[in-house]
Amino acid sequence: MGEEYSDMTIKINVNGKDYVVTVKPYERLIDVLRYKLGLTSVKEGCGRGECGACVVIMDGKLVPSCLVPAYRANGSKIITVEGIAPEGKIHAIQKALIDSLSIQCGFCFPGIIIAAKYLLDHNPNPSDEEIKEALEGHLCRCGSYLRFIKAVKLAAKYIREGKIYFDVKEVQSKIFPE
Amino acid sequence: MAGGTDLLIQMRSGVVKPKLILDLWPLRKELSYVKSGDGYVRIGALTTIEELGNSFLVSDKRYLGFRDLYKQFATPYLKTLATIGGNIGTGHPMSDAAILLLALDAEVKLSSIEGDRWVKLEDLFVGLRNIARKPNELITEIRFKEIPENSSTALLKLDRRRGHAMGYVIAAAYMALEGNKIIDVRLSFDSIGKPFPGRAYKTEEFLKGKEFSIDTIHESFKVMENEMTRISDYRAPAEYRLDLSKVLMKRCLLLIKSRVERGV
Amino acid sequence: MTSLPEYIRIVEEVFEKFKGKPLLYVGKHSVRWDALAKVTGKALFTADYLKLLRNVVWVHSVRTKYAHAYIKKIDISEAARYPGVLRVITAKDIPGINDVGYVIPDQPLLAHKKVRYIGDIIALVVAEDPYAAREAGEKIYVDYEPLPVYTDVEQIVDVKTLKEKTHTRIHDERDSDIVAHYKIRAGNVEKAMKEADVIIENKYRTPMQEHAYMEPEAAIALPEPDGGITVIASTQCPFDARKAIARVLGLPQNMVRVIVPFIGGGFGGKEDVVNEVGAKAALAAYLTRRPAVVVHTREESIIGHSKRHPAVMWYRHAAKKDGTLLAVEANIVLDTGAYASLGPFVAWRAIVHSTGPYRVYNARVDSIAVYTNNVYSGAFRGFGNPQVHFAVERQMDILAEELKMDPVELRLKNILRVGDRTVHGQLLTEQHGVGLEEALKKAIEAADWYNKRKMYSNQTGLIRKGIGVALLWHGNSIGVEGADYSSVSIIINRDGTITFRTGLTEMGQGSLWGLVLMAAEILGVPPSYFKIEQPDTASAPDSGPTVASRSTVMGGNATIVAAYKLRKRLNEVAARMLECSPDDIEIKAPEVYCRSDPDKKTTWNDVVEQAFWLGVPLQEYGYYRAPPARWDEETGQGEPYITYTFGAVVAEVTVDLETGQIIVDRLVTAYDIGKVINPVGAELHAEGGAIQGMGYAIMEEIIHDKNGHVKNANLSTYYIPTIKDTPEIIPIFVESGYKRGPFGAKGLGEPSVNGIAPAIVNAISHAVGIQFREIPLTPHRIYLEAKKRGLIRL
Repeated sequence: MGEEYSDMTIKINVNGKDYVVTVKPYERLIDVLRYKLGLTSVKEGCGRGECGACVVIMDGKLVPSCLVPAYRANGSKIITVEGIAPEGKIHAIQKALIDSLSIQCGFCFPGIIIAAKYLLDHNPNPSDEEIKEALEGHLCRCGSYLRFIKAVKLAAKYIREGKIYFDVKEVQSKIFPE
Repeated sequence: MAGGTDLLIQMRSGVVKPKLILDLWPLRKELSYVKSGDGYVRIGALTTIEELGNSFLVSDKRYLGFRDLYKQFATPYLKTLATIGGNIGTGHPMSDAAILLLALDAEVKLSSIEGDRWVKLEDLFVGLRNIARKPNELITEIRFKEIPENSSTALLKLDRRRGHAMGYVIAAAYMALEGNKIIDVRLSFDSIGKPFPGRAYKTEEFLKGKEFSIDTIHESFKVMENEMTRISDYRAPAEYRLDLSKVLMKRCLLLIKSRVERGV
Repeated sequence: MTSLPEYIRIVEEVFEKFKGKPLLYVGKHSVRWDALAKVTGKALFTADYLKLLRNVVWVHSVRTKYAHAYIKKIDISEAARYPGVLRVITAKDIPGINDVGYVIPDQPLLAHKKVRYIGDIIALVVAEDPYAAREAGEKIYVDYEPLPVYTDVEQIVDVKTLKEKTHTRIHDERDSDIVAHYKIRAGNVEKAMKEADVIIENKYRTPMQEHAYMEPEAAIALPEPDGGITVIASTQCPFDARKAIARVLGLPQNMVRVIVPFIGGGFGGKEDVVNEVGAKAALAAYLTRRPAVVVHTREESIIGHSKRHPAVMWYRHAAKKDGTLLAVEANIVLDTGAYASLGPFVAWRAIVHSTGPYRVYNARVDSIAVYTNNVYSGAFRGFGNPQVHFAVERQMDILAEELKMDPVELRLKNILRVGDRTVHGQLLTEQHGVGLEEALKKAIEAADWYNKRKMYSNQTGLIRKGIGVALLWHGNSIGVEGADYSSVSIIINRDGTITFRTGLTEMGQGSLWGLVLMAAEILGVPPSYFKIEQPDTASAPDSGPTVASRSTVMGGNATIVAAYKLRKRLNEVAARMLECSPDDIEIKAPEVYCRSDPDKKTTWNDVVEQAFWLGVPLQEYGYYRAPPARWDEETGQGEPYITYTFGAVVAEVTVDLETGQIIVDRLVTAYDIGKVINPVGAELHAEGGAIQGMGYAIMEEIIHDKNGHVKNANLSTYYIPTIKDTPEIIPIFVESGYKRGPFGAKGLGEPSVNGIAPAIVNAISHAVGIQFREIPLTPHRIYLEAKKRGLIRL
């Protein structure tokens, strides 16, 4: 298949870094992010935009990267979980997921984190209903849904208190107190 | 290809194997808008469902059907890619936006190098996933006449789960009331017998001019039984789909009445 | 008098020693070790490893067009020449044995004479990129001779007589398409039936449920320089996978290594399918000498891996008018699909629990697993129990209605208590821990049962509310399915940190953290000292499969044995250092001191270093083997399981009769798990199991058409609950103390699904006033039934 279709070169900015990537016209953004750029937080759960695991923020909007042709990302700014906090820090939503004891297999987490961040960026004090609507498209088979609601509200509280980022070393030490 | 949320999935399943795809996304700058004036509401074909949900339509009590559409449409991340033109262009019965627009008696502008032409939305559907669009035409705009102050719209669907639901049935309605009298009504569904969205004209005729009441609506059910045929498939039997269509139609009309009278 | 093996003595001693004492780590809320890795998205799941590899080849499985057919000829010539393709592998290329069956060798990896379900694999295309592999696959031409397709067990057997019907045998290498048959024959059923005041007879149906874990199956195989193969795979049972892969390749087991990274959900679905997925990757790597990748799409995952057995169950209960159960008769027919997978074990677990957690002394039960051309069924959280619990708990409610008794009262009259014998004749004692009554009482109190039951009776509107109860029991670990053992290695490093190794896998359930908490408690060191290593057959001990709710009990006991022995040695070393007696040593790392004279102290690191120099081994291999279970093939009498987890579920629902829509408002779950080791883990299990059980009750079903094709092979047509569907869940735990469990603990992995569907359907039946007997209870089923009975007229 590959030979009939010529390569395209795209310039994308992912998590603040510029990349020049060669792609085939039929390649998907999810594959570029995962395998060409090594950002494996982006997960493929269904490949059809039905599970929410591959969601990233592209030009300020929530998109399912498994349904975005790679060439469409030319000139775009993309944010994945690897880029929602500065080096050595984690975002309030990540801290909140730990604190609300939501963690099971973790496969759906990157999608949830991106969607929750997107929600909190636009709505600093979401209600339970609004949280459910924001996370409606994210499937979690392990069943942490109720805790996601708690986590988002907790993250909103942290952000309101000015705590947007947390130091990883500090979090690590509190997980394993001496 | 507009958003790609339908085409890319069809390609993935191997149902469709195009050699060439024309990507319309770059046209978004020109074809994404929601505006009113000159008596019409005009929506650009590449307006995403998310943009629809953030437009003036969802806060205008007449067009709350668009808020229903937005809230019940798939998932937040699909709303960013799904376009209104794409939703119509697939020609699929479960096209939420097409169903609502049908109730608004919308028209679709098809553009080509030969010029533009307007087609009534209901005439656009000719078969399953088949619309009357020439291969060199693009859907560029959708318009419908502004509806009067004493009218509103609604769209409802129901499925076996409450999140990310396709719907066994999708019902939409437009109704104008004068006091308690139904002066105008349009009812559209995902299907009334054909594999694409359609309107229940006979039921509309029955209701026009009558006093709004639950009993009247229940009487209209008998008319609907004559004009709607449903299919049974692995998801649900025909009898249920028919009955659910009636119930959702009733609930749409009750919602509209509340919107006209109280704004919610 | 038989002397107990040392490991059992140790477990019992630890149970007694810590009983009732305040604990430092066990039973406390703590954050699991992999928390940061998962929230930062850095945790690597199988397919993620691809970013680290170069030169990989992709393996695409070409599947059959027919669900049941003979294969006359396979022509791969055009595919083999396709640009980018290295090899096309068919059955004849398999160096070892072409079989990946988990319990019986009935499942070829690659089809060679026959295909039996739509997921059967004709050939593997190995190519430089996945697109080329898929396209080349379309150029494989097969001559099929189609055969009749059977998609319902009732086409194969008669449910009342259990006799096989005339049909084209699916497994013609065997003499019957009934692959397993178990019996219970207890007491005198005929006599009991004659004495009965009331007899209730019903037929129940439960659907095929799909695991729908968020991570589809994947495996990466790396050829080793010595001719061996290393496989990175998303598997719950690395040692079973190793065995299967070695068999397919014709290699000795020590030349195959299986490494398990983070798993995105298992629920039993990654128990046996990895035999196939891992073998496919390994075969491609073996034959091409390049790293080979298999990543299933979601559609492939749905049609290609084992499911929950659909069941048709016929039950007959006999009772006295005061509610005493006299006898139970049942036929349980499980559709195991094209291959047995774990079917024989599922049918066994189903029959063991088939009469419910009640005193039943007259019983005639038969359970069989039957082949069809559906997607094959195997292990899925609950393993036969969700099916039989649905039937038996519905029977109890229907019986209650007939007797005009409150469903809770009926159950209280019959439940198993300490001193009772089960239907298999097993005597339940204090040592087993029987907290069923306490669980039921706590559940109905939290749910406000009696008031709500009264409030919701005799409703007439279109919106109805209902409340329902269900009880459950679940034998821990694998009973007579096999040798029930587990093991761990605890290695104390010279710097005082600890390496924890086990072959039990982490798929979200977090039970490994519970094991660490136990070791931490016994050694006296904080959990932060431990690092849990990835299960790796090259270095972890064989701990048996991560199934059957056994990790906490079996892995836990092995952990206790290892930790206990290490602690004893360390006590002796410290005692020499501090000059007090070993029993007097208190370890609260980093401090170590004599309890009677705390000024005599040293540090954990010093003790470790001293042990090193004294030549005292700082690593220990802990092994635990469950006392053998007993089961008589003809009568079903014996001691099938080491103990049982008990529970009670109360569900509250709202039903909109006009549309049939159900909203589950609330689930109160109370589980007797012996002792709560890891409270967070336990709560998450209760919640997760409740959501899966709810899906089973009201929305999930895999549907085949009459040609055996799956109609709903994606996540928008196979519905699993979303966040909007999730009810309020109230998890309650009861600690009855299982003497041979680690700190008294029992398992919870599976029981948390068993009681949900029957409780919900009991509630719906209560709300609507119709006794439903089939799940999933989707809106259309409720609506049409209600309409038929005149409850709605439009």
